[in-house]
Amino acid sequence: MTASRTAGVPRQKGGPSASPSQIVAFVTFMLPIGALLLFWEGVVRFGLADATILPAPSMIVVRAWELLNPAKAERSLLLVHIGVSLWRALAAFVLACLVAIPLGFVLGLSTGTYRALSPLLSLLLPLPAVAWTPIFLVAFGQGDLTIIGVCFLGAFFPVLYSTIQGVRGIGVHAIWVVQSMGAGPLDLFRRVLLPGALPALISGLKLGMAHSWRTLVAAEMLAALSYGLGYMIFAARSYMDVSTMFVGIVCLAVIGLLIEHVIFGTLEKMTVARWHSSGKVRGTR
Amino acid sequence: MSADLAKVLPMNARSKPKIVAKGIQKSFGNVLAMEDVTLSIQEREFVAIIGPSGCGKSTFLYLIAGFEKPSGGELTINGNAITGPGPDRGVVFQEFVLFPWLTVLRNITLGLDIQGVKREEAEARALKWIRLTGLSGFENAYPSTLSGGMKQRVAIARALTYDPEVLLLDEPFGALDVQTKNYMIRDLQDLWQEANRTIVMITHSVSEAVHMADRVVVLSSRPSRVIADVRIDVPHPRDRRNPTMHRYEDEITAILSAEVDKAMSLERQIR
Ligand SMILES: Nc1ncnc2c1ncn2[C@@H]1O[C@H](COP(=O)(O)OP(=O)(O)OP(=O)(O)O)[C@@H](O)[C@H]1O
Ligand SMILES: [Mg+2]
Repeated sequence: MTASRTAGVPRQKGGPSASPSQIVAFVTFMLPIGALLLFWEGVVRFGLADATILPAPSMIVVRAWELLNPAKAERSLLLVHIGVSLWRALAAFVLACLVAIPLGFVLGLSTGTYRALSPLLSLLLPLPAVAWTPIFLVAFGQGDLTIIGVCFLGAFFPVLYSTIQGVRGIGVHAIWVVQSMGAGPLDLFRRVLLPGALPALISGLKLGMAHSWRTLVAAEMLAALSYGLGYMIFAARSYMDVSTMFVGIVCLAVIGLLIEHVIFGTLEKMTVARWHSSGKVRGTR
Repeated sequence: MSADLAKVLPMNARSKPKIVAKGIQKSFGNVLAMEDVTLSIQEREFVAIIGPSGCGKSTFLYLIAGFEKPSGGELTINGNAITGPGPDRGVVFQEFVLFPWLTVLRNITLGLDIQGVKREEAEARALKWIRLTGLSGFENAYPSTLSGGMKQRVAIARALTYDPEVLLLDEPFGALDVQTKNYMIRDLQDLWQEANRTIVMITHSVSEAVHMADRVVVLSSRPSRVIADVRIDVPHPRDRRNPTMHRYEDEITAILSAEVDKAMSLERQIR
């Protein structure tokens, strides 16, 4: 056991200096993207595509730079669009989690309630949340309330469904073990139900955030008065400003990727991934 | 055959009944698992339960643990009806049931953690069992990285560490090799003799049962009844070469094989 303690020297990945294997991973990730961009640039430059419909990547970068307005960062239009969009998607996601996670635990634990509500859930889960936008527009008019409401629905069902599945996946024996040790309801929740449901819950959060982000674009196109990436893309059509549309699309893709990998990737590394790694290289907490 | 030996070695003559089962019935839907199990387990007794697969041994253990309710009959501990699980009865499950999010050490200290024992004390008490179960060096490993036998040892150490009055063991050595098993059997026996716990152990091995237990109870095939209750009157530590033990083994094996033969031929007639 001394071996396990002394071997606990920090050998963690993802420190400030990247390891060679990480650089390799990054390069293999970027290579196909770089190739596509080069090809795309070539196609436009050689006149094989109409630049007013498909602008070259270099033109998109130039437009992005203009929108970013780095000289006056406090009045950067692009940053405002991004900020507003992020705020809406995150607010909707957090609200959805606040309702869906506790509800998921209740439904996961009580088979009766689950049976009663399950048909409803299977009907609502596959429904694209954007479909609600016109109804929300009628009810609340254009603006944040409608957009956040629609995104809320987009995030709500995946989180709810995953939480239920996670709780239902916990074997009754696991619950019995802690009950036979004298655990009350709080211990049972903290020590078994929550960690037991966590793997499913994390994939639900990932899915919920992704849905919120996707729903957001459509909802902003339909319901935003000003600002937001969806609004920016949609508004640019009046000026035939295709470059700006592409800037918006690229932002949506990159931010979506970052949220999935940085936020949820870290959450996964801290929990689920750790449980399946050998603990022998790690010291006690 | 054991009547005369019982006079020579009145092992638990002064002890009182700890767990009493009277006419226990248990059915799952329309499957009758237990028909009429009547059994009295004395305080500080080591009882082994043996019986054909699927006869309701695990079910009986879960009834004693309070996880399930009997469909009929009376089940008491210290004279009180069993109403639910409690820290006085520790269980080692047939399928281990470790928590993948806790390290080996945290899995083992779990009972003490729940009971609010200070972390240092809990770890000190766990270390004794980690050592005896041969898990030293794996304190910080997660269960997913352990072999089946190691998982089983963690499950045993977890139940022993929080020191319940009654230990309910469901085939606790099933995944272990013979050598490791012999070590564990010896340690479990030492514990039982030192601390005077009541132990109910389910096993498929007649020799394991005869070697360890005060009494071997044989259950019939489903729906189960007690078909034999044999007191093993051989003082501890027992020697495997002792001819008396071989006689016990033969006796119990004969009862068990007859029961399994009967069950199998019945089963095949139905098909
Ligand atoms: N939760 C349950 N629901 C329905 N039937 C059950 C349940 N638990 C047990 N049974 C049935 O009760 C019977 C006894 O099961 P049990 O697990 O107690 O057998 P066992 O003697 O422990 O067998 P083994 O030696 O194979 O572990 C079996 O026929 C099983 O199918
Ligand atoms: Mg069993």
